[in-house]
Amino acid sequence: MPDDALPHPDLVAAIPRLRRYARVLSGDATRADDLVQDTLARAWEKRRLWQAGTDLRAWLFTVMHNVFVNQRALARRDARNVSIDADDASEVWQIAVRPNQQLRVELAEVLASVGRLPVEQREVLLLAAVEELKYEEIAAALDVPIGTVMSRLSRARGKLRQMHAEPAVGLKVVRTRPS
Amino acid sequence: MSAPITDDDLSAWADGQLPPERRAAVEAALGADAGLAQHAQELLAQNAALREALDPWLAEPIPARLLAAAAPPPRPSPWITWRPYLAVAATLALGLAIGWYGRELTLERTGTPTTFARAAAFTHVLYAADQRRPVEVWANEEKGLVTWLTRRMGVQAHAPDLNALGFALVGGRLVAGHERPTALLMYENTDKQRLTLQWRRNDPSVEETAFRYAVENGVGVFYWIDHDCSYALSGRVDKTQLLAISRVVYGQLAAADAQPPK
Repeated sequence: MPDDALPHPDLVAAIPRLRRYARVLSGDATRADDLVQDTLARAWEKRRLWQAGTDLRAWLFTVMHNVFVNQRALARRDARNVSIDADDASEVWQIAVRPNQQLRVELAEVLASVGRLPVEQREVLLLAAVEELKYEEIAAALDVPIGTVMSRLSRARGKLRQMHAEPAVGLKVVRTRPS
Repeated sequence: MSAPITDDDLSAWADGQLPPERRAAVEAALGADAGLAQHAQELLAQNAALREALDPWLAEPIPARLLAAAAPPPRPSPWITWRPYLAVAATLALGLAIGWYGRELTLERTGTPTTFARAAAFTHVLYAADQRRPVEVWANEEKGLVTWLTRRMGVQAHAPDLNALGFALVGGRLVAGHERPTALLMYENTDKQRLTLQWRRNDPSVEETAFRYAVENGVGVFYWIDHDCSYALSGRVDKTQLLAISRVVYGQLAAADAQPPK
């Protein structure tokens, strides 16, 4: 039944991007793949919620975000007495650099900077700047107002610039939207 | 004069998400403001750097377990698909069964003409076949028998006189019922044919009925409900004869009830 299935080729094609989003969220390659696997399972469970013809990738990001948020909430509840900050795992931000010798130091720095952003800003940055999702799609995927998307994006970019240690010389003061 | 250029405008410009008219305004401002233009260029560079840093991840081979997870799950077996419906059906069936069983229980306890007739036929078969001790109290103690049954039943008992029809009183007994006892009087003719008259008290809600006839396991039963009691006259005799005897019994009982208690 066509309305009963996800397009399998598109699903496979989306896996690399899901893995990337998962790494950006979890900051850990193994946990990232666990998250992808859970997301795919969840997507099949919830396949009737996907409207055929709409962007499967954006929907999968939505599913992954929800799975991630739920798992993080559970992990926090379970580990209330253990001091673990899941967001601070930094392994991924280094692993990705090493096998790419041609990657400039600058890019390694970018990656490391991304890893230091709060997860909410990381994911907005990834979805907007890298995956090029529309802001409305991001707001829908994360279930937040579009203003929140914009302010997170703005803050993420500002921090990256700061971390990049390139002093914004000569920049005029830019008005920030009050949030 | 258009609105001042904000961080959000620059973000949206860098991400290519500005509506055309706003984009024109932003680009005009960028052209007029070198600092703003530099900021915008930095955002573009940042985006490019992010993609360059993160795109290599896309080229990594996909683990088999993720490919497996992307495959359509095995089609659920009909058992899985129908399980919820089967559960509903089973629950419904169980409910019906309990309801039916409960109805049976209720009927057995309170009785209906039908169940009473069936029980009467059964009791008749049980005791009429007993040659040595078909009754507990013999007819020679008829007065004591009637008193005893009256006391145990809580309703005035009468022993109809069927001698004119060829049936003499043998005696009587109490028969255990589900909730309340049933009184039994046995009569016998010279051919050793036996009749039993059984009665028990009714629930107040039970309505009176006319004679009804049933045959249970070869035993004919005429039964009726009077205002206080259900009666059943049973015997292996033909329907016409049994009806005639029933009428006599009914008439004598009605006459006895009409008389003031002794």
